[in-house]
Amino acid sequence: MDAALIAALRNVLGEAGLVGSGSRLVPYESDGLAMLRHTPEMVLLPRTTAEAAHSMRLLAEAGVPVVGRGAGTGLSGGATPVEGGVVISLARMRDVLEVDPAGRLARVQAGVVNADLTRAAAPHGLFYAPDPSSQMACTIGGNVAENSGGPHCFMHGSTTRHILGLVIVCADGEVLDLSEPQPDPSGYDLIGSFVGSEGTLGLVTEVTVKLTRVPPVTETLLAVFPGLDGACDSVSDMIAARLEPSALEILDRLTIQAVEASVFAAGYPKTAEAVLLVELEGSALEVDVTSKDVLAILEQRGAIELRKARDPLERRKLWAGRKGAFGAMGRIAPDLYVADAVVPRTKLRRMVARTAEICRERNLRLATVFHAGDGNLHPNICYDRRDLDEVKRVLEAGRMILQECIAAGGSLTGEHGVGLEKLEGMDMLFKQADLATMCRMRDAWDPERRMNPGKLLPVRACREVRTNPLPGVEARDAAAGAES
Amino acid sequence: MSTGKEFAPPDATPPQADPIAHARDLVDYAASLDCIHCGLCISSCPTYRISGRESASPRGRIHLMRAAAESRVEADADFAEEMDYCLVCRNCESVCPAGVQFGRMMELTRDGLESRRQRKLSARLARWLGFRIVLPSRLALRLVGTLTRLMQVTGLARMFAPALGAAGRALQSLPALPPARERALLPARNRGLRNTGDSDARPALFMLEGCAQPELFGHVNRSTVDALCAAGHDVHVARAVCCGALHAHNGELDQARQLARIYVQEWVRSCAAEGAELIPITNASGCGAHLREYGELLAGDAQCGADAARFSALVRDWSELLSPRIADGSLKLTAPTNVSGPVAWDDPCHLCHGQGVREDPRVLLKAIPGLEQVELHDSESCCGSAGIYSLLRPADGAAILAPKLETLANSGARTLVTSNPGCQMQWLAGIRSKGMDVRVVHLAELVQPTQRT
Ligand SMILES: Cc1cc2nc3c(=O)[nH]c(=O)nc-3n(C[C@H](O)[C@H](O)[C@H](O)COP(=O)(O)OP(=O)(O)OC[C@H]3O[C@@H](n4cnc5c(N)ncnc54)[C@H](O)[C@@H]3O)c2cc1C
Ligand code: SF4
Ligand code: SF4
Repeated sequence: MDAALIAALRNVLGEAGLVGSGSRLVPYESDGLAMLRHTPEMVLLPRTTAEAAHSMRLLAEAGVPVVGRGAGTGLSGGATPVEGGVVISLARMRDVLEVDPAGRLARVQAGVVNADLTRAAAPHGLFYAPDPSSQMACTIGGNVAENSGGPHCFMHGSTTRHILGLVIVCADGEVLDLSEPQPDPSGYDLIGSFVGSEGTLGLVTEVTVKLTRVPPVTETLLAVFPGLDGACDSVSDMIAARLEPSALEILDRLTIQAVEASVFAAGYPKTAEAVLLVELEGSALEVDVTSKDVLAILEQRGAIELRKARDPLERRKLWAGRKGAFGAMGRIAPDLYVADAVVPRTKLRRMVARTAEICRERNLRLATVFHAGDGNLHPNICYDRRDLDEVKRVLEAGRMILQECIAAGGSLTGEHGVGLEKLEGMDMLFKQADLATMCRMRDAWDPERRMNPGKLLPVRACREVRTNPLPGVEARDAAAGAES
Repeated sequence: MSTGKEFAPPDATPPQADPIAHARDLVDYAASLDCIHCGLCISSCPTYRISGRESASPRGRIHLMRAAAESRVEADADFAEEMDYCLVCRNCESVCPAGVQFGRMMELTRDGLESRRQRKLSARLARWLGFRIVLPSRLALRLVGTLTRLMQVTGLARMFAPALGAAGRALQSLPALPPARERALLPARNRGLRNTGDSDARPALFMLEGCAQPELFGHVNRSTVDALCAAGHDVHVARAVCCGALHAHNGELDQARQLARIYVQEWVRSCAAEGAELIPITNASGCGAHLREYGELLAGDAQCGADAARFSALVRDWSELLSPRIADGSLKLTAPTNVSGPVAWDDPCHLCHGQGVREDPRVLLKAIPGLEQVELHDSESCCGSAGIYSLLRPADGAAILAPKLETLANSGARTLVTSNPGCQMQWLAGIRSKGMDVRVVHLAELVQPTQRT
């Protein structure tokens, strides 16, 4: 990297705001997906939007690619550095700028940790609803970039439904201030298109979020099943009966065992084949009525044990178990591949069975957790990265699962994003024309394609989009074309 | 799945037979593999929160250790600095779902770094004096205590501190040492009260006075023993001086093992003399957490290993003996407290993260008649004392404490309660520097006076 550029950046950011060389760069080589890695040329740690914008201008002049980074908990390689690129980390932008209880909103720097935002809102009886399982670490900026979801997004909706305003530093260093909440924006909805763009359009430095009222009553139920089918069917029944739990989460046996062996032991019965966590929110009356209907369905679908959390402590414990599930798997395997499959809810049961089959055929250990309400399953496949053959089988299984999802009318990613990991999936899901349109949108923001290049959209060096749609996709699109 | 050619393929098993042999004494490689890189720990880490550097986070430090073992980074000055910057507060262990044993990994890494380090003669001499001569010897500690008191009383401390560099800063950060009578050691045997029918059933205890505690806060030890005796326990006071925690955390593992052996052997002898298994207890969290690790520390020791494991399994914080008795009603704190104004409990790291003790001190505080309590939301976050960290890196220690001082000020508490001498000193210094009007006390000082005997 050019010495003059480094000096100029140091001038803007100060000594503590720049990691320029040496071993300190190495821990930035990957995000939560540790199998992909690349050491960045440099890491910048701005404290303010102005510092970020100034740095970005200098980088634009020098033509250097930029990868934004929040907490690096992403699971698709979104924050993995790129060749010749620098990382701009938001880790020092963690100020809660304003909590406005009357307006039910908060304005925060994008490096604020999701759980810290909820803590800041709590004294006002409010909370920030999207609750990824990584909420104790992941940042609001990362959530915006990934349009993250969480167990309670079944009821409250994923990140995009909670973003009122953004301040964005564009690729050329210009600051785009969209922070004034507008109920009905005139012109194109820039915020809507930015959420979920995985850092490829610009860097978010400030976020205005909607806060949600803490419901008067919350009830958490745990149902234990002798098999996964009963749990899946209960979910379908509840949705068919128009019941609206705020969260519906299923854990399978291997996951239960891992959780119970970890610091997040939640008291799930270790011998259960599946547990279903159901949460209900609302007025006392609403919760009471829904709870009766839910319990009836659970019993009818063969739940062998039903538990109600008696107090907030017990509820927290039941949830801590779910949220710590991924990490807890670390105890039973050196490495873990987290797939992020999403299918129409009605296909959930079949998809679960297929996933198990795919892994069994490849002699891979599988533990599954899922946001059942959203049809989003996370098959966690155990492996050891030192066993090359196993790694190969895992990647193959991941690909097979993706194909199955697409074939079942589902999508590539429920919430973890495309990043680097699922580029090939984009080829499978979309046709050339679709991807070209996405590229044009991207070019409108960042014509030089310096923001997180090589992520999200499968673009070759010659800038031509490559696709390789699955037969099912061609057929689906042909059918759609015939209909219209 | 597309990895793209610029990305390293998944790690291959390196070809040599033992590729990490060069780093065996620096990195616990097997333990580093437990980390699945999820990152859930990073936002709980005080040094990451301040610096924002991944390499100053638990995941980043483990990443560096692992990369050093795999020869992908050098254990160079940057590497050493990030390891030294760590507080070994073990907050990361409390939140890690994969059960990564970070504290133990860091002890090995610090030890490995120390043996690779080329320190100046004066620094080597200072470490040798501190770790080998002063800490393990009651006589030397007394001497230092008396000299310090003399300098404080005469005002020499204030006069000379600026000329003494780091030592001067350390001297100035010490609280006023009490007079010799208050620094007197405890009697070797303290008999428990036998005023209840089942009091013979109370197990006898084996207490460590500690290295610094008697000099700095002798009355804390007295309060602890009085409280336990009043609850019907016999308390034997060990003659061993230092448990070796400071050594283990600062790259002196051999000396730490030596001190552990001395202590375990004394315990074995005392148990034999009493004809009963004495329960080792402490009122200093840093020591307690370390005593619980003796089993692992001496695992390979043919002579002491088995005893150490048995010893570690029995170790308790003193509050753990009293809180169940409050819960079952066999112990009541009846005299109203003389403390006025709200009181805040700050969990010492090595009590909550190191020993998993969170409820017992709260149960005791809640049982004190007339005590008004407020919660600190960041009570489980390190105060920056971290053993001798605040002496070695005063600026970093103060930066770690700063946000907590703010929480304390906002809470309206007039008394801060903790249970570790280092934390007590750190809080005292911080509160003084901010000109706040808040007392700092050890839990035992609040509990003991409310026991009516
Ligand atoms: C244990 C575990 C559980 C998880 N559970 C969930 C879950 O329940 N739901 C879910 O949706 N996800 C989950 N995730 C995935 C991950 O936590 C989310 O994607 C999260 O939003 C990432 O936030 P981050 O701050 O870590 O972002 P990073 O990983 O640092 O970055 C993610 C992406 O966002 C971009 N980015 C980051 N900050 C900015 C910014 N300020 N401006 C522009 N681009 C930016 C990066 O370039 C990258 O492409 C989980 C991950 C783990 C490890
Ligand atoms: S929480 Fe545990 S497993 Fe996850 S990154 Fe931190 S140390 Fe590693
Ligand atoms: S021990 Fe404390 S300072 Fe060190 S990495 Fe863990 S949380 Fe951070």
